[in-house]
Amino acid sequence: MTKIDGSQALLLPAAAIFVGALGIAWFTHGTGVVKDDAKRHISVPKTLTVPLSVQAAYNGQDIFFRYRWTSPKPGIFHDMLRFEGGKWVVQGRAVPGSQPQGLHEDRIAMMVDDGSVPEFSRYGGYVTIGQGLAGFTKEVDAKAVKGHAYLGKKLKQDEPTKYLPATRRDINDYLSVVPEDELKAQRAAGYFLDLWHWRAARSNPVKLSDDQNVGEARLSDAGKGPYATNWDGAKKQPRLMFDPAKAGHAALKWDDIVGGKIAQDAQHALREDIAIPFDPAHAWKDGDTLPRRIIRISEGSRADIKVAGTARWDNGSWDVVLQRKMDTGNRLDDKIFVDRGIYQAAFAVHRQATGGRWHYVSLPVTVGLGRDADVKAVRFEGETPKWDQPAKQVTLFYPGQVSWPHVNSAKHPGADKVRAGVPVKFRHSEMELANYGIEMEFNDAIRRQWLLTMFAGLLLIVAFAVAVNATLKRGKGA
Amino acid sequence: MAAYHVVLVHFPIALWMTAALAIVWRALSDGPVALAIDRALVPLLWLGLASGVLAMLVGMRVWPWEAISTSPMGRNHILLAVWTTAYWAVMLITRILQGEALWSGLGRWIMAGLALLGAGLLGITGTLGGHLAGIYTDLSKVLRLLGWEVQRTFYVPDTTLMLLVAASVLLLVVAWLAARRGTPAGN
Repeated sequence: MTKIDGSQALLLPAAAIFVGALGIAWFTHGTGVVKDDAKRHISVPKTLTVPLSVQAAYNGQDIFFRYRWTSPKPGIFHDMLRFEGGKWVVQGRAVPGSQPQGLHEDRIAMMVDDGSVPEFSRYGGYVTIGQGLAGFTKEVDAKAVKGHAYLGKKLKQDEPTKYLPATRRDINDYLSVVPEDELKAQRAAGYFLDLWHWRAARSNPVKLSDDQNVGEARLSDAGKGPYATNWDGAKKQPRLMFDPAKAGHAALKWDDIVGGKIAQDAQHALREDIAIPFDPAHAWKDGDTLPRRIIRISEGSRADIKVAGTARWDNGSWDVVLQRKMDTGNRLDDKIFVDRGIYQAAFAVHRQATGGRWHYVSLPVTVGLGRDADVKAVRFEGETPKWDQPAKQVTLFYPGQVSWPHVNSAKHPGADKVRAGVPVKFRHSEMELANYGIEMEFNDAIRRQWLLTMFAGLLLIVAFAVAVNATLKRGKGA
Repeated sequence: MAAYHVVLVHFPIALWMTAALAIVWRALSDGPVALAIDRALVPLLWLGLASGVLAMLVGMRVWPWEAISTSPMGRNHILLAVWTTAYWAVMLITRILQGEALWSGLGRWIMAGLALLGAGLLGITGTLGGHLAGIYTDLSKVLRLLGWEVQRTFYVPDTTLMLLVAASVLLLVVAWLAARRGTPAGN
């Protein structure tokens, strides 16, 4: 049995202090830095990944995509106008993360390409996340966007939105748009992404999806969109109200909205067909609430994508089928699907009343029409797919703040691999990208804390060495 | 430089792992084999330290500092590499200063414990390096179960930093108390 003399007994407290300090470091690591901060546009979701299942089918005329994803609640409302103290007050303005009253619609979006944007097949939506987009901690000044001769004055952009890299002279400069002639040539060559954008509040009530695209900005297809703003700025009142004869009420009740008491099938959306001009003389009461969006039938290229059947939330999941002509004839807005063709797609979901960049996104997948691919679209005869083929299980992840300029910068150890064309999925899993995305939101603070941790650990090791040698030295001679 | 780093790291890993085994063996035995192993310990630790420092210096040139210090996995690999190298340097210094007397009394068990801890640090450092190179193992799952998601940077909050500094000061106090008792009467 080992004999411990009095001086060597000092080893025990030294070891206890060392091991105790290591234990405290282990149990407290990773805390103290990552926290929500609305001023910096930071809100980190607790759930980092969400499953999405995707199927596709086509009949030679139309193509159908079926999406199913989990969502704790059906987010069927967007912003609202609430009558309070004789005034109509806007409720549900976008905030970082979840809107506290649940006033932000659920959405599914799909970006599609036909190979004309080669980087998209390797990096998916990352190629569209340019410098300083809206919602980033460091975003491009909206005034600069509005004042830009092309983006602001001509395209009517009022905030920095997604764009493709070659639409800029410098990918690190949102405002460095290439000349219009060049943009037109890019567009004619197919250098844009189609963007299918189903909105639970702003398009679904009329059984439509919004139809957009991403080129020099996130743009809407030509035509009229499925929603308009229900606000008369001059009169400071809503433009429309519900028609009681058709909707059964003149307005919704605020408590019913925030209390989740309004069913999906109820007349809750202010569709043009159940609305009448706003009547200020109506006996409005505090708590009466009107949607801030008028929902209408889209027109033109923007009306290409329809909801097949009924999009429904049930038992914690949405089930949405979108349908579009394979060839819409709108080649400058849409990607045209051809039998036996291979396409690339990436998906995004907004849920739990989030907007902007607070979504879950996917890595790119291939879609093959009658060909092997990640999502194999099955050919069928008739009007409605049977959906008897297996679904592609896609993992959606919270992307944090990682931009295409960052991915290509000296700060990214894999930038050379990106330049060499190595696909993102070769090096990163979805969970890894979620973790890295969060770290990027706090990069400076985490790096500082990491360096301090390294030096504190070194100090501890050295101090322990001094203690051990001092006590053993004593023991040696004793 | 990545390829050279990969080649070089094999040396400290092999040498320090062997040293860990030698220390545990010596702690458990006073037999002739253990004594022979102990005589090889200092050269083993010297070679381990030299090759470890060299591997670390070359490793720092694989990516620019700006890149590697932005990558969570890169940060973790650096942190573990620095701690591991310092830790094994301490083992070397202790063995040199204490000589064979290290194996008497409580010292041998402290050394055995430290060797196992050092082997663990070394294993994690190497594994994270593999992750950086795109070669993944299930060790990350083990660490995740133990409470560390290796895809997130290992850092501690300010309060813990202060506790670590306080613990270091306490250890120096312990050292001072030991020294204060003076040189033993026999010397």
